[in-house]
Amino acid sequence: MSATVLDIITTAALLYAVAAGLLIVFGVMKIINFAHGAFLTVGGYAALAVTHWGLNPWFSLPAAFVAGCACGMLIERVVMRPLYSRPLDAILATWGLGIILGQLITLAFGREVQFVRSPLAGTMNFLGTAYSEYRLSVVLAAAVLAGALGLALNGTRLGLNTRAVIMNENLARALGIDSARVRFGTFSLGAGLASLAGALITPLSSVDLNMGVPWLVNAFMLVLVSGVSLISLGIACLVLGGAQVLVSTYLNPILGGLTIVVLAALLLRLRPKGFSRD
Amino acid sequence: MTPALELQGISSGYGEALVLREVDLTLAPGEVLAVLGKNGMGKSTLLKTVMGFLPLAAGQVRLFGESIGGHPPHVVARAAVAYTPQEQALFQDLSVEDNLRLGLRRDRQLRVGIERAGEIFPFLPQRLAQRAGTLSGGEQKMLLVARALLCQPRLMLIDEITEGLQPSVIERLSVALRAECERTGVSILLIEQNVGFARGLAQRYAVMKRGELVDQGAMHGEDTAARIAAHLNV
Repeated sequence: MSATVLDIITTAALLYAVAAGLLIVFGVMKIINFAHGAFLTVGGYAALAVTHWGLNPWFSLPAAFVAGCACGMLIERVVMRPLYSRPLDAILATWGLGIILGQLITLAFGREVQFVRSPLAGTMNFLGTAYSEYRLSVVLAAAVLAGALGLALNGTRLGLNTRAVIMNENLARALGIDSARVRFGTFSLGAGLASLAGALITPLSSVDLNMGVPWLVNAFMLVLVSGVSLISLGIACLVLGGAQVLVSTYLNPILGGLTIVVLAALLLRLRPKGFSRD
Repeated sequence: MTPALELQGISSGYGEALVLREVDLTLAPGEVLAVLGKNGMGKSTLLKTVMGFLPLAAGQVRLFGESIGGHPPHVVARAAVAYTPQEQALFQDLSVEDNLRLGLRRDRQLRVGIERAGEIFPFLPQRLAQRAGTLSGGEQKMLLVARALLCQPRLMLIDEITEGLQPSVIERLSVALRAECERTGVSILLIEQNVGFARGLAQRYAVMKRGELVDQGAMHGEDTAARIAAHLNV
């Protein structure tokens, strides 16, 4: 298996980890959470804190998830809940929250670019190709994440209630489902997943205040072409993320950075449902 | 005896525009009351107001003696109120089984619930994995009624369930609801335009015109048919 194929798979895994939380929040709350990039940054800095404290680098994953969930819980209760009936204001609020979180992080960690220790620093021979152990572990992490989300949404009562709210919130409420509680849980989970993705990314890049921005833009476009389906999101990550890797590898890395946005916009023009079946 | 549902002078609507104006209505335990009227007269608004989807501009809503005005819909539903809206009443992309599950408070009641649904509409247990949106129109309405009955409601709010259905399906729904009334004593507030269906189920009727109840009476009184026909111009 060539390194390019493995690059495509690992990039798709990273994109999926980043976009999954955004998609769930979009599905339930019908808003794009522009603070998602900031939550991702929170995860990056949680990983940095774990490095500074000299803890096992793997501990950065649960630490980032908990930190993200805690931020999400607080923000949903204090900022988002009063804005449910004003979706445009809610979207603007998430944008402002991103700025505030960034400033708070600056106060705590400073502005300089920093790096974390990778839990796996070597390479391994995978199907005849020497490849980064850490990037392969990211694929495993994304697969576990996808499985856990699929199981939670399709195999539990809470997941059924969440799907009901996604499909028809008023009908769900008429059946006794407390949609405010579902929104609270979803926003908190979405923030936790963003932070978890941030912690997954940090061993591959630097930790800085703007680390979430390029990921947010790509995740936003991936969610738009996925039709609130985690399966469609996986396909979108593989196809568009794959295109990004190919363009970056064989044409130009700067053009590669634009690939997902351009292709997603074209896809929505040609097929408004994107990768969604319905 | 404490009424199952008591509306005292309720007014409500959409934003500034009032649709219901000072509506008074009482539904006794075990009673079926049909609210009749043409399209756009405020019948569905009445149910949405009781459920808490629309805010009360004035008046009181009491459910078994307790005021529920201002309560959100999920709290009203948890007080054993089953609401079957006229449109988008099922989760079309969910399976029949998942739609039935959503009618139950807890999943551990599912097996008994499915058996019960099968007693009412025998086709349901054989079609559990089918997407609800792929059922025929009549089957969807039967699933809707089965789901409503699974939560063992004390009050059902049913909005024009017979619209667009064949007479044979309407008869099956009527039989199922009559049997449930006899078995459990559930109260039903029925919004209908199908007078025949309403007469087969309800003990009382009320006629709504432009957001006001303009006539109420016993469904099987001597002059009822003529009075209803006069109101509805049929």
